[in-house]
Amino acid sequence: MAVLAKELTAELRGRVALNAVGLFGLTTLIAVAYQIGPYRIADADRPHLLAALLWIILYFAAASGLPRVFVKEEDARTAKTLRLAARPGAVFTGKFLFNVILLAALEAFLVPLYCALMSYGIAGIGPFTLLLACGAVALAATSTIVAAIISRATGSGTLFAILSVPLVLPLLVFLIQGTRAASASAGLAEVLPALRAVTSLAGVTLVTSAFIFPVVWHE
Amino acid sequence: MTKPRLRTTAQWLLGIWLLVVAIAAFHWAPTARGFKGESSRIVFFHVPQAWVAVLAFCVNLVASLRYLRGRDPLDDARAAAAARLGLVFSVLATITGSLFAHVMWGSFWNWDPREVSIVILLLIYAAYFALREAITDDERRASLAAAYAILAFVTMPFLIFIVPRIYFSLHPDTLINTRGAMDMESRMFQVLMGSLVGFTGLFSWLYTLDVRLAKIRLARRRREEV
Repeated sequence: MAVLAKELTAELRGRVALNAVGLFGLTTLIAVAYQIGPYRIADADRPHLLAALLWIILYFAAASGLPRVFVKEEDARTAKTLRLAARPGAVFTGKFLFNVILLAALEAFLVPLYCALMSYGIAGIGPFTLLLACGAVALAATSTIVAAIISRATGSGTLFAILSVPLVLPLLVFLIQGTRAASASAGLAEVLPALRAVTSLAGVTLVTSAFIFPVVWHE
Repeated sequence: MTKPRLRTTAQWLLGIWLLVVAIAAFHWAPTARGFKGESSRIVFFHVPQAWVAVLAFCVNLVASLRYLRGRDPLDDARAAAAARLGLVFSVLATITGSLFAHVMWGSFWNWDPREVSIVILLLIYAAYFALREAITDDERRASLAAAYAILAFVTMPFLIFIVPRIYFSLHPDTLINTRGAMDMESRMFQVLMGSLVGFTGLFSWLYTLDVRLAKIRLARRRREEV
């Protein structure tokens, strides 16, 4: 929790990651909404396209800010101090929770805006919110461990996209399918297969990350 | 029999085995019902290639775990060798799958869940090598590549086994299906099993060659350091 508190304090002071993800997401959303808007997609294509576009905007906005959580430690040369001051488990948990909060803030900001600008109606608000929450946890889990890996390599900016896309693709497939189901139906049953898959993926990624993070951190 | 002679004999046997499988695929096994023309014969090459791509992934995982436990550079070389071959066989599986898709459904690519899963495997291998190229220190490269390989491995079962079962797939499910049934004619099944054994042998041979080369390079580097 001390690591999380440090991250939150530093972020509230500088707001670098917040600005990056927020502005990137907003810019992408405006570009998409301006070109496509609520009228240029045929009714039959709306469920698929709008769900896919939402998660593409969310993922790429997240990708612009989530890797910073470890890269900034290497850039500012505070990584060695952090290695001495905290156990690997505490560091990973703190950074992971910070990323979850960042993603949750991004979703809280972008999703209502997206629904308004694209006239995207969600029939099942409850299941959809649950999907967003599970998606944030799963995305944060993958992004945090990949950020830890790339922070130890050169060319970390481009490397994050290269390493994370294959890992995040199955997650995005499930999230898009779940979002489609939530927009069409108010019931939880339709969203449940996607929710189960996303939760399983999040769980498996977190457990694996807990196992490999000490190796990555002390390398 | 000496080891080199045993090796040469095994290589010849492998070559003959693969030749017999190729002949049987075109002249002994029948074509499958419900497929256009002779297109079903591609199963004898496409399925083993996909199988070897996944097998290489598993070998990569085991070698990566062994490296993290023992920090032996040879285990890192084994992991890289498996990944290299996995990449090659993933490309081959994608190409043969696309050819089949073009004949059956009129399009080289249909974004079928199984097609997507092999492409993601390809992307994982490519990302693995991109990561290795971005790190200059040998030990760090080996550790981080091993960590990524382990992380990537846990994602694959979702794509290979779960996604095709949740979502509709055009991919034929004569072998791996939710009914637990085998819907393949017996001669076709025999040739397919023969081809699986042959391709596994081919992978094993190429992998052994790559690892032997890595051993020689490591030994030379140790001599230079001394």
